[in-house]
Amino acid sequence: MLKIDNLHVAVGDNKVLNGLTLEVPTGEVHAIMGPNGSGKSTLAHVLAGRPGYTVTAGSITLDGKDLLALEPEERAHEGVFLGFQYPVEIPGVNNVYLLKAALNAARKHRGLPEVDAFEFLTLVREKMKLMKMDESFLSRGVNEGFSGGEKKRNEILQMLVLEPKLAVLDETDSGLDIDALKVVSNGVNTLRSPDRSVVLVTHYQRLLDYVVPDHVHVLVRGKIARSGDKTLALELEKRGYDWVIEEAA
Amino acid sequence: MSAPQATPKLATAPASPLTARIAAEFAGAGHGPDEPQRQRALAALTEVGLPTSRDENWKYVNLRPLDKVHFVPPSAEVRPVIKPADLPTAVGKSRYVFVDGVFDAALSSPSAQGGVTVTTGAADGGAVVAGGAGNGGAPAVGGVAAAHKGALAGDLRFALLNEAFATDGAQIHVARGTECKICVELVFVATTEAKAGASYPRVSFKVDANARVGLIERHVSIGSDANFINCAVDVEVARDASVQHYRVQQTGARAMWFDTLTAKLAENAKYQVHMVNLGALSARSTVNVQLLGERSEVGVFGASVGGKNQVHDTFALVDHIAPNARTDQSFRGIAGGRARVAFNGKVVVRKGAHGTDSSQSLRGLLAGTDAEIDVRPQLEIYTDDVKCNHGATAGKLDDNMLFYLLSRGLDRETALRLLKWAFLEDVVSKIEVPELRRQIEESLAGQLNESAALAASQDPLAAAPVGATMGASHTTHGQAGNGSPRIDDEQATPAQTEKR
Repeated sequence: MLKIDNLHVAVGDNKVLNGLTLEVPTGEVHAIMGPNGSGKSTLAHVLAGRPGYTVTAGSITLDGKDLLALEPEERAHEGVFLGFQYPVEIPGVNNVYLLKAALNAARKHRGLPEVDAFEFLTLVREKMKLMKMDESFLSRGVNEGFSGGEKKRNEILQMLVLEPKLAVLDETDSGLDIDALKVVSNGVNTLRSPDRSVVLVTHYQRLLDYVVPDHVHVLVRGKIARSGDKTLALELEKRGYDWVIEEAA
Repeated sequence: MSAPQATPKLATAPASPLTARIAAEFAGAGHGPDEPQRQRALAALTEVGLPTSRDENWKYVNLRPLDKVHFVPPSAEVRPVIKPADLPTAVGKSRYVFVDGVFDAALSSPSAQGGVTVTTGAADGGAVVAGGAGNGGAPAVGGVAAAHKGALAGDLRFALLNEAFATDGAQIHVARGTECKICVELVFVATTEAKAGASYPRVSFKVDANARVGLIERHVSIGSDANFINCAVDVEVARDASVQHYRVQQTGARAMWFDTLTAKLAENAKYQVHMVNLGALSARSTVNVQLLGERSEVGVFGASVGGKNQVHDTFALVDHIAPNARTDQSFRGIAGGRARVAFNGKVVVRKGAHGTDSSQSLRGLLAGTDAEIDVRPQLEIYTDDVKCNHGATAGKLDDNMLFYLLSRGLDRETALRLLKWAFLEDVVSKIEVPELRRQIEESLAGQLNESAALAASQDPLAAAPVGATMGASHTTHGQAGNGSPRIDDEQATPAQTEKR
């Protein structure tokens, strides 16, 4: 279970999260919504340990383990996965190499031997099929020259291969056309299981038609202003965020 | 039009203390007036002197240790025993090994190949140095150059020193129409302390029309790692011929390595030189390419990884004399520790060299807080109707890339190594000989491991890149700047013309 308690985060002098408290039990999918600048992406990045954010108070634990004490790579080993809103291009490092290195890093942490080359390729091919990705992706540089939609699919592919305990998807739906959205949602749904939690950060209700959340939270000025079930997302779609902001004020 | 830099001014001043000592050592080694070619080289060297750090194009390499060098090659008796296993694994079928500049038959494994003639014991064969009037057995340079008076000879001062003292060398001649991916592999081994004797590798590589060939040239140290090595290589590519030249410098940790490469290309000739610099305390390459024939094409590809206190400095001049010729210069350098890695790429487009197409992409990566990168594209254009692009960047590793890899669970050291690897990839991937590439990649991995360890001990996320502005020189120190932490995208500018 992911437990965030009274989290305060600043970027420079700018206070972005102001006492955010949230619990995501194992097996559940929670959507984090909210207006621009409410701190959604900051939350995603802080969970993954991106430098540049100062946690001034509060705690984050995953199954009792203090995430804030861990380096980004250690969090990954503990099963945290961040799907980037803007996946970075890394020319010269090929996709299949990264996938394998990432998988082996996770296996090493669990005391498992390196993955067998044949098994690995079988696994990757199966997941790529699910994500409707062409095999030529494997030999290309990481996200190099990928379209926006291809990059997002690649994020989900990595997630499927790594099978994280906690998946944090930062606006994975942005920039996707309806077909790509279905593919990506299908990928996320495949990963739903009683042993993992998913945090979906999103602007729009659209994604939640395909990945139906157990809970929806609305972030306003760095804290949860309102929580509800999936109907809250529908209400936000209809009424906008203003009423929540007003209520929070 | 003034002839740009390159040609050393003829000094009327008397010999410097250094050249005076060189002349004395030369005389002491028993070189008499019966060796006119050596004498001429020595006289020319005495006249122009060796470069000093006051020279604009020589400011990176520390030249002061030259004062302690004994310039005469060592005698054969003092050589250490070298086993073939001490040498890099052979690539190709025909290997020639030179120890302290002298051919070693026992270590070599030459194999006859149709159309390829290799002669050793060639010091008397001919002038490698371009300025010299191609006498004797190696007409190499004179013929073509004479037809193009005023071609930039380039900076040949260290080549003159080589010519005065070299006792051996490889003369390779490839006959018309010959095809072989790797005709010859040359291995130059230095074994002697600089204060006891110098090593003078020397190569003349002459490729006749329509041949398509490759040459590997490697430089290593065995025994002492504190050698003085001064290498002179002359390449001539005849019309419609195509040459791949691979050069790998892996000399010892305290070695001084000087290198002068000249290449002349005839009509429609293609020459690609791949220069990989890994070793030496200080390594300096001076490259002079003359595009004498229409539609000739040169590729100068450099990869350099320096750590600790290493200095790697390359000065590459391409002189566009004939029309419609092409230049492609790519450099990727990584400086870790307190290393300094420099690449100065100069392209001169002569009057009449219309249709020139030149592209320069020079990039440096800082991997240490006290490291320095200097990448400098220079263009001098004396004609219209040319296409000259250049891009130069110097900076640190991209934080976003690093975080992305870390977030996937890669440990910091692996992630840094991978990003450096990726940085070099553009240039290393051009090596078309799989076995050689494998060996180079292995050496690079070893070298990168070291600098990765260094970088990891600092905080690479507090990185400070330095942007590049066009046309200027790009010098980046580890300590500099606070800007956004990414390597700037390369930019291309339209031809920059300097009218004289």
